[in-house]
Amino acid sequence: MEAPQAVEAVGEVLEGMHVAYSALPALLVLMPLVGAVLVVALGKRWPKVRNTIVVAVTGLALLGAVAMIGPVAADHRIGCELPGLLGRLDFTVDSFGLLFALFTTFVWFCSTLYSLDYMKHEHAHDRYHATSLIVLAANLGVVLAGDLITLYLFFEVLGLVAFLLVIHTETDEAKKASIKYWWMTVVGGFALIGGIFLTYAIGGTGAIAPIPFKEGTEALRWAAASLLILGFGVKAGMLPVHVWLPDAHPVAPSPASALLSGVMIKAGAYGIFRTLLALMRPEIGAGVEASAWHFTSQLGLVVLWFGVATMFIGVVLALGQHNAKRMLAYHSVSQMGFILAGLGAAGYLGAHGAMGVAGGLFHVVNHGLFKSALFLGVGAVFFRTAELDMYRLGGLWKRMPLTFLLTLIAAFGITGVPLFNGFVSKSLIHHAIVEAADYHGLVSLVVAEKIFILTCGGTVCSFIKLIGLVFLGKPKREYGPEVKDPPPRMLVAMGLLSTAIITLGLVPQVVIRGVFAPGLEAWGVNPEILEEYLAKYFLSTKDISSVGVAFAIGAVIFLVGMKYGLFHLRAPKWFGVDFWYRKVAKGLLASCAFTATGYDMGRSAVSRGLLVSRAWYRTEWARLERSRRRFVMTLATGAPGPRDQHFVQGVYVVLERERQATVRMAVSGAIQRVREWPDYDATECRATVDAVRDIASYMAGRVFRERMGVVSDLVRYGLADEVRHGFDGVVRGLVSSRDIVSATSLALAGRRMEGENVTRDISAAVNRLLSDERFDVRLAALVPRYAAASVRLLEAGQAVLQAVPDGATLHAYSSEGLTRLEKSARWLADITRLAVAGVTQERAGWPAADHFGEESIVGTRRAIQRYARDMSVNVAMIVIVLLVFLVSLALRA
Amino acid sequence: MEARIVSSLLPPAAFLLPIIGAVAIIPLTKGAERLRRIGLAVVCVLNVVAAASFVPGVLAGNVYETYILQITPKIWMYFRVDAMGALFGLTAAVLWLIALVYSFGYMEGEHRPGRYYAFFILALAWTMGVAYAGNLLTFLIFYEMFSILTYPLIVHEETPEAIAAGTKYIVYILVGGSLVLLAIVFTFFLAGNQALTPAGLLTLEMGRKNLIAVFWCFIAGFGVKAALVPLHGWVPDAHPAAPAPFSAVLSGVMVAAGSFGIMRVVYSVFGVALLRELDVMRWLAYIAGFTVVFAALLAVNQENLKRRLAYSTISQMGYAALGVALLTEQATTGALVHITNHAFMKGALFLCAGLLIKRAGIRNVRDISGIAQKMPITSAAFAIAALSMIGTPPLSGFVSKWYLGLGMLDADQPLYLAVLLGGALLAAVYLLPIVYAAYFKPPSAAVLALPERSGLEAPLTMLVPLVAAIVLTIALGLVSSVQGMPLSLARLAAAIAFK
Repeated sequence: MEAPQAVEAVGEVLEGMHVAYSALPALLVLMPLVGAVLVVALGKRWPKVRNTIVVAVTGLALLGAVAMIGPVAADHRIGCELPGLLGRLDFTVDSFGLLFALFTTFVWFCSTLYSLDYMKHEHAHDRYHATSLIVLAANLGVVLAGDLITLYLFFEVLGLVAFLLVIHTETDEAKKASIKYWWMTVVGGFALIGGIFLTYAIGGTGAIAPIPFKEGTEALRWAAASLLILGFGVKAGMLPVHVWLPDAHPVAPSPASALLSGVMIKAGAYGIFRTLLALMRPEIGAGVEASAWHFTSQLGLVVLWFGVATMFIGVVLALGQHNAKRMLAYHSVSQMGFILAGLGAAGYLGAHGAMGVAGGLFHVVNHGLFKSALFLGVGAVFFRTAELDMYRLGGLWKRMPLTFLLTLIAAFGITGVPLFNGFVSKSLIHHAIVEAADYHGLVSLVVAEKIFILTCGGTVCSFIKLIGLVFLGKPKREYGPEVKDPPPRMLVAMGLLSTAIITLGLVPQVVIRGVFAPGLEAWGVNPEILEEYLAKYFLSTKDISSVGVAFAIGAVIFLVGMKYGLFHLRAPKWFGVDFWYRKVAKGLLASCAFTATGYDMGRSAVSRGLLVSRAWYRTEWARLERSRRRFVMTLATGAPGPRDQHFVQGVYVVLERERQATVRMAVSGAIQRVREWPDYDATECRATVDAVRDIASYMAGRVFRERMGVVSDLVRYGLADEVRHGFDGVVRGLVSSRDIVSATSLALAGRRMEGENVTRDISAAVNRLLSDERFDVRLAALVPRYAAASVRLLEAGQAVLQAVPDGATLHAYSSEGLTRLEKSARWLADITRLAVAGVTQERAGWPAADHFGEESIVGTRRAIQRYARDMSVNVAMIVIVLLVFLVSLALRA
Repeated sequence: MEARIVSSLLPPAAFLLPIIGAVAIIPLTKGAERLRRIGLAVVCVLNVVAAASFVPGVLAGNVYETYILQITPKIWMYFRVDAMGALFGLTAAVLWLIALVYSFGYMEGEHRPGRYYAFFILALAWTMGVAYAGNLLTFLIFYEMFSILTYPLIVHEETPEAIAAGTKYIVYILVGGSLVLLAIVFTFFLAGNQALTPAGLLTLEMGRKNLIAVFWCFIAGFGVKAALVPLHGWVPDAHPAAPAPFSAVLSGVMVAAGSFGIMRVVYSVFGVALLRELDVMRWLAYIAGFTVVFAALLAVNQENLKRRLAYSTISQMGYAALGVALLTEQATTGALVHITNHAFMKGALFLCAGLLIKRAGIRNVRDISGIAQKMPITSAAFAIAALSMIGTPPLSGFVSKWYLGLGMLDADQPLYLAVLLGGALLAAVYLLPIVYAAYFKPPSAAVLALPERSGLEAPLTMLVPLVAAIVLTIALGLVSSVQGMPLSLARLAAAIAFK
């Protein structure tokens, strides 16, 4: 019993997937590309011809889409293949694809017509029109694509080329917005291709057809579905990846905004629709059990909630906007939420989701129509007033009555006034959500339904604001004579859209019976419920009253908001996802920088390590080489000469080096000093430097000889070994002498230049220097026994010094009338102190602990003179006495 | 399908033609610049014709072979043209022609053009030899010639940086070459002299440890040239130092020669089945995946344009190695076709960099701002090549990434998709800001200093090769599935390898 059924099901599937040949889809995609080439080729020379071409191409595209209605109605699926890319590009059109193609080409035609006059304000017309046509081709390619690769190809082209529409005005704002747009598109594209790859992993073949559920692939299936929905969701403005949309749509020229908001984001919705209800659904056929819908149902619930969140947050953000186009852009986010909610409900309901599909897709069309009409209307206002801030306009209905009327129709459409198109799709979505809430009795979905009504209220409020602030009320500024209805071509474009809005509002049966019923039938979803809707609910009091509720909520929000200024509140920065995306992007760049620095550091560490090890190797090798040479020398010539001789030679080199350094430093110091002279005279300077060099060489030479003398003395005493180790340290301590030499030589040079004989001063300076640096004492300090002795000596000296009364003590006893003995005693004490200090401290190598004042030195000197005088008198006396003695002896004889 | 062996004199011709070009044309035409150019162009065109003439036959299942001379009693120098070799040879021949014509413009006014052209055209000879080598020893001979005799091209400008880069290059390459030699000696020891055949030379009976040692010797040796990450040091220095047309060839074919060597080892020396048994490819895949991401991360912060492109090459060659390491037919197709696609798109990028250096004196990324006004063709070419590098359909980069992606799924390793897409995202991060700056940023000082343009932005000898590379980049994507395109050869080669 079961087997034949399965066979039958397969047969049905095959029949369901049958594609009748038609070249139209491919032509439809290729024609705008040819048009774009023509625009670039001809535009510069013949702008009129170019304008004709763009209108003709979009018009032909519209006609082509219309021409597909018949074949699609007859065969369900038509299409063809072009060779290219990975084998072939597959174009297949079913009812849904056709629906998208129809409204795409229609809106494109209107926008192009409108742009002819509007773009007079802007630059780079050729670029705009060519871009627009390429994007049209890509957009048609997306909705007519028969497999995922073709779809991806056109989706990427659409996203990337539309960048040129966003950045068209090339203002700073536009550049910023377009960069954000670009990166989100690129990342979305990667998510998408990742998702497409994963569909292959779960058994897909690349066709836009159900991928049967296989056990064990659930995680991959979720990953594939999430990536696909994320990829499409970026384009669709789905929360939380909507952030590019409110920036990018307002900065584009208005006709491009209409295309971006009205049409292009629908490519994202189309993708989500196909993901949810073509790829991730169970196979089509009679034998499908309800449980097979489980995955689709779960996914649908997720999408539904994303939709609800998107619609609500979009509207909340829209209420805070001043810029009319920015507000409309946020409404695009919000309205995409409606669409996603409808599609999500359809997925949730599975085989019974006809209402959701119809609501979501009908809303796609409707939103395309009224949102582009609104952008064109606001664009017309901008065209005449160059103003987009709603709070600075007002009263325009008198100046621009037709624009007002057409914008009002569009506003009726978006707020869901009965008899306008938005009403139908919104109530379909509402019914779908209610139905979903009833399906498994999920309470959360009842909440979703309430949010839905509240969002409708918010939408109403927003458009009361738009119409009220821009067109009604009192003008906030003076309008010049140029503020009037725009040129006829722009009005015609808006009029066409308005006509469509009203038509679909009055006779939605055309679309519901003409497109959804057969389309759903072909995909194995029961469309009967739609007929039920048309019969029972369409324009029923219940639906109209719910619109009334929405309007009441809207009016209340408007009044309260205007009164308390709620529309000017701003959330903190970190509240927006945008903030966090920027953080992530910055983090990515920072991690790149981090990797680069880390890598560089690692690399330089390695190279430094190599250098260090090379240096180490070289020194070690040199040392080994020296030892080897010494060894060989020893073998050849016997033991090396006395070690002391080596030491003296080494010392000679070190001290000679020190001498040269001293001279060099003095000369360079002199040069530096000379340079700073205010009146720089080359000859004089040279002479000065020469003089300095002479003096410094003499001084350094003497110092060198003295030092060498000290060393050779030490060596002669057999102390070389003891001195050898600390010798370098001692030499390092001599550096301060260089300063003295250079200062002295500089000071004396000046005097020598003036003709003075300074030899004596030089000698004195050298003597002073030598006695100050105490080279011998320092060296002696290195000899351990000398050091110990010096310490003892010092201690002894200190003891003696303490024992001998110092000059001050003696002075205390003294007065003018000192006895000679006392004076001698004082003199003796002073001499003893000097001698002891001189002997001990000099020898100990330590600076004098006690300071001899000028006074005591002068006193001592005077005492010495006096002593000498006394002594000489005494000697003279003795001599005289002796002479007298001798004379007396001689006389006696 | 059993391979039909056809004896043919064309493989040696493809390798002898450039040698004749180098040793005959260049000395003979000293001073006659025009004549020399015509002569060299003719050689390159003939070489392309020769390389292309194998394609129909190879696609029909033929294998062309020639024994040239007996090196030792046991070993012949032996050429053998199969699908993989035909693909690599054709890629090299076409890229060489493009770079040669570009050199005519680029080398105008440079010193010692004779030396440059001689080694440039000789390098083609060695490359053809590498592509058509029929056994390991022939392969090694040409591979070494090719590695060492390109040193004069890298140091051609003779600046201190170029000399330093050349030293680095030669040290890296010689170490790599010695490892390859070691591996080949080991292989001869294990298997004797045999032609490279799809079945592989080695078998499991030769000892697991031996085989693993041979494998890693090969990988370490070829990995130096293929710029696998710890061995990539020479690449970012050699590219900025070399003249731009040679940088293009260096990136497009020379680095790829390393990957080609790895492919020969994997598919013809070991064979797929043996490697599955040995379970070593997992590690190669890790290395390759790391190479892709790490090099791309480093590329983002490079200020010198050619250096950035060099890091990009490392990253992209990582894709090829990853494709090989996954050991599936689709991934192999992707790796093979990626080598060809990458040759032309990276070639185009380097040619753009050369134009920027030559015509605008721009070497650094920050000076590129606003260049599109002055050099529209270069900027457009750069944009297309950059998009292709990222993998935007319908350009060629997409095709290779598509097959690599499918290969990852076939290998049951969908996590490598993150590497594939992450590398592509990073490619977007390091390439697209350049494109944006060229078109939409206010002109830099370097650009403002350029004189007003009259006529073309550069001589035709430079623009025509660039446009040719771009046309190939588009064609290799848009019509990649046409029979006779590289994709068909790559598929055939992969099918043979996995038969």
